[in-house]
Amino acid sequence: MVNKIHFVVILILLISMIINLFPLPEIITPYKPPLLMLVLIYWSLAFPNQINLTYAFVFGIIMDVLLLMPLGYNAFLYTVTIYLIIIYYPQIRLHSYWNKMFSLLIILLPYFIMSTFANNMLNISYDILEVFVSMIVSILIWPLLFSVLRFIRLKYTV
Amino acid sequence: MKSELHFRGERFIIIKLLIFLLLSITFLFADINLKYSNEIRKKFSHVIQPIYSLAALPIDIYNSISTYVIYKNNLILEKKELEKKILIQSGIIQKIPSLQEENKRLKKLLYSSNTSSSSKIQMAELIKVNLNPFHNKIIINEGANKNIFIGQTVIDSVGVLGQVSEINNDFSVVTLITDPAHALLGVNARTNKRIIISGIGDNRKLIAKYIPLNEDIQEGDIIITSGLDNVFPEGYLIGQISKINRKESDDFLSVFVTPSSSLSSNREVMLLW
Repeated sequence: MVNKIHFVVILILLISMIINLFPLPEIITPYKPPLLMLVLIYWSLAFPNQINLTYAFVFGIIMDVLLLMPLGYNAFLYTVTIYLIIIYYPQIRLHSYWNKMFSLLIILLPYFIMSTFANNMLNISYDILEVFVSMIVSILIWPLLFSVLRFIRLKYTV
Repeated sequence: MKSELHFRGERFIIIKLLIFLLLSITFLFADINLKYSNEIRKKFSHVIQPIYSLAALPIDIYNSISTYVIYKNNLILEKKELEKKILIQSGIIQKIPSLQEENKRLKKLLYSSNTSSSSKIQMAELIKVNLNPFHNKIIINEGANKNIFIGQTVIDSVGVLGQVSEINNDFSVVTLITDPAHALLGVNARTNKRIIISGIGDNRKLIAKYIPLNEDIQEGDIIITSGLDNVFPEGYLIGQISKINRKESDDFLSVFVTPSSSLSSNREVMLLW
């Protein structure tokens, strides 16, 4: 049972990692939402006891290697965000559908603020407007992502 | 029962969090100073390469289908146009040996030690994956087996793209000239004045740095590589000056350069030896 959860989650995370790497038109690319992050958030909300910080850290490291980022950049951000999820998951689970979107905003806000801080410290150039739009986009695609992942969860795990 | 489980997990979680944060921060600082993520990527390149090609698969399929579907008429037209282009270009090439000779002779007269530039060219294909949007790097499909070296010049048919910054077994990473950490020494083709060209992270823009207010510079001037930075060979096109902001209160002019190579829409690039 627990093994099945791990298997499905790892598979979905790997797929979303590859989707994250898909080439997009130049105009959209800066506004791309952090897909792997969102999928991780979903799974940690669904199974907070199984999908925890280890997942966030390991997938963050893999992401750093794949995206040519300094090692530990995404690992740090993912770990902190999933930590927030696990701390607040009892409250978030009780929220209604639209409230969940709002609480996602509250959880993603530290992620984007920290990423801008890290970009500043590591001299990675970025556009604050693009970061903001990417945050809005990730909140907008959340309902769709939620229903897709929920379908997968109900069908294959529990 | 469930809340108990949750409670039990919470004690460990703060320790886990601290361990992971400490680990990632150490990784970050170690990586910035020692650059060992390159080594890791090299070790796992047999795993990473398939992931990259899997991610690039949809666009590859799209491209191959669209070339397959293109109408015959279009192909005939395109072939005619290309033949015409080849004819014109081979006509131009005829003059090159004599020009080279002349160049050599003139340079001898000037006592210049500049030797003529590289000869060998190799094609490489881009692996189109979506890296971090803040990065100005591309991945090409040639690796250590083709004698690529770090700092090798990468060009496309119209201008300089960048230089090889990381070599793995099956792929290598090219830092574009638009990367904010990248700068090169160009020369203004009209006045022969040297100019430092630096990237700002935007693929459609470069800036020329440290140009005094009274410098002879115009919009439309063409910038070529100078060969003095020992990285890029002499005489390749970098771009064209697109905008000059002259502000008397500043110490230097702010000059923008439009790169001539299409830095974001390439499919094939060339490596120079």
